[in-house]
Amino acid sequence: MALCVGLVLLNLGQMSNAADDQRAREIVDRVARLFISKSSISEVEMQITNENWQRNILMRIWSVGEENILVRIISPPEDAGTAVLKVGSNSWYYLPKTKRTIQMPASMTMTSWMGSHFTLDDLVKQSHLASDYFITTSFEGTRNGVAVNEYTLTPKPATVVVWGKIVLEVRQADHMPTWQRYYNEDGKPIRELTFSEYTTVKRRLIPTRLIMRPLDKAGEQTALIYKNISFDVPISEEIFSLNNLKR
Amino acid sequence: MSGRILGLAWRNLWRNPRRTLIAMSAIGFGYAMLLFVACLMAGLRQQMIETGTSLVLSDIEVHAPGYYPKRSIHQTLGGRQGTNVGTLLAAIAADPRIDAASPRVYAYGLVSATTQSAGAEILGVVPNQEQKVTVLQTRIVKGSYLTERMPKGILIGDRFATTIGVGLGSEIIVLTEAADGSMGNDLYTVVGIFHTGLDAIDRGLVLMSLASLQELLRLPPVRIHEVGIKLHNITEATTVAAALGAQLGKTLPVRVRAWPELVPELADYVQFNRGVTFILFVIFFMLVIIGIVNTMLMAVIERTRELGMLMAVGMRPVHVVSLILAEAVGLAAASLVLGGVIGAPLLWYLQVHGLNLGGVGDEVSLAGVVVGHHWYGQQDFSAYSQAALGLAVTALVSALYPALRAARFRPAEALRKV
Repeated sequence: MALCVGLVLLNLGQMSNAADDQRAREIVDRVARLFISKSSISEVEMQITNENWQRNILMRIWSVGEENILVRIISPPEDAGTAVLKVGSNSWYYLPKTKRTIQMPASMTMTSWMGSHFTLDDLVKQSHLASDYFITTSFEGTRNGVAVNEYTLTPKPATVVVWGKIVLEVRQADHMPTWQRYYNEDGKPIRELTFSEYTTVKRRLIPTRLIMRPLDKAGEQTALIYKNISFDVPISEEIFSLNNLKR
Repeated sequence: MSGRILGLAWRNLWRNPRRTLIAMSAIGFGYAMLLFVACLMAGLRQQMIETGTSLVLSDIEVHAPGYYPKRSIHQTLGGRQGTNVGTLLAAIAADPRIDAASPRVYAYGLVSATTQSAGAEILGVVPNQEQKVTVLQTRIVKGSYLTERMPKGILIGDRFATTIGVGLGSEIIVLTEAADGSMGNDLYTVVGIFHTGLDAIDRGLVLMSLASLQELLRLPPVRIHEVGIKLHNITEATTVAAALGAQLGKTLPVRVRAWPELVPELADYVQFNRGVTFILFVIFFMLVIIGIVNTMLMAVIERTRELGMLMAVGMRPVHVVSLILAEAVGLAAASLVLGGVIGAPLLWYLQVHGLNLGGVGDEVSLAGVVVGHHWYGQQDFSAYSQAALGLAVTALVSALYPALRAARFRPAEALRKV
């Protein structure tokens, strides 16, 4: 009899676990899609600090869904006019100095973007988090007086991903991310992304200040600041053409 | 006494000329073969060191401490302030053992034609100075080397040209992160295409003028990454590097490396090549031992009666030993002369004409080194004399047993032998 009760309890436990995972998946998916909408136009400043130089890059980003993205550098003057167009898995660079467009190797979207600690994929391709990883809730409770949930994401065997593990902390109250830590395959933390300055834009709450720190290089970081963002604005398809890239 | 023994030994050798000649030709021919192999091995070493160092490297390289091998573009000689390149080159050229020196700048970037792009190492050089240090200009298959007249000219490898689909006169874009973090990019024209046979170079290196690369990287003219140095005699590389490091280090923080440190696998190969040569020597000496023991033992046994007679009339055992040893050394010496006579034209031929490896397509490479269609020999006189000395010692050692045997003859018994 006692055994039967035990089994039932065990089953219940598993069921609630599965339900939790479903809930966790929804929350992670929402975090991953924070900046993704039918369309958006944003103005973003990158403040890059590394051991060799410090510079701020202002850029304007047009996006429709996740497949069509155009990034145009506004300042500083030496890089102004440089643009990147990404349509599906193809990317092109426009270099105003040479007035030439070059096709970028796919691997370049996974390396440092404009010398920052973000990759181009970090900026434009976050939505796969929920589908590429197993998600478990690794902490629930209060940290620094804020009720938070912590989720651990481990890659599904079949997916090709860079990271061995990603840990993500989300505020319980509004499901806003507070930090996200990336681990390599040996379980060593490599970089940390922190979120702050949450603002409501068109009834959407988003963090407008993202800071990426490589954990092996003290003092280096890139702050990504959303100066301006508008969601669901009409954007013509022509924006995402090679002709427009050269404009 | 010793003069008389030598004379006697020489005469004894020719008492059975056929046997002596057969032994002589075996040893002499072996020695000639040894010379042949040593010459080829030295040629391979030479070729390997030459292709390894003279194409894009050099005998010695001067860097800022910590620059090599990571090659961060920020770690220029003299740090962020840079250094007076003219003064530095003059200080280097002051050493009489140094033939020429050439300043260089390196970067890594994306090189792109209209649709195809590939990553490449970009080397910036002063064309007429670099040509005194390296020999890449001799490997141009299309167009010409960089010239001062075309500051936006670029030199690429044939494999790289195929990869990104460009030819002579094509425009290509180079994209790289400049020293201030901006995206350095500019348009260049392919003025020459080279082929070295070394995949890493043909596929992954592009050259432009030093000033152009500094401009692309937003580095002022005082900031360079490296000075490549050519010596009159490459065997002095390690010594000169140490001296230069101490000398330059007084005014500028530097790290000076000789080629064995820059390409340790090349130094390992040279070591390996010498090892193989040595093993061949040892095998040959062992064969010689058998030949001489056999010849001398026969000579001793055949002359038992005669040696017994000599001892009976008062020749002491030590003199008998000396006699036999002298005969062996005489045999070895005559063989060496014969070997030298056979070998000399072979060595001359190897150096001048090389060994034809055949084939008309791609060049032949041995152990990762392009040797071309001809494998040229290189005279290695120290190896030749070591082989000769080794042979003489071997002859002495192998004659020891027959000599001692002869010395133990009892005259009375020996005389009775037929």
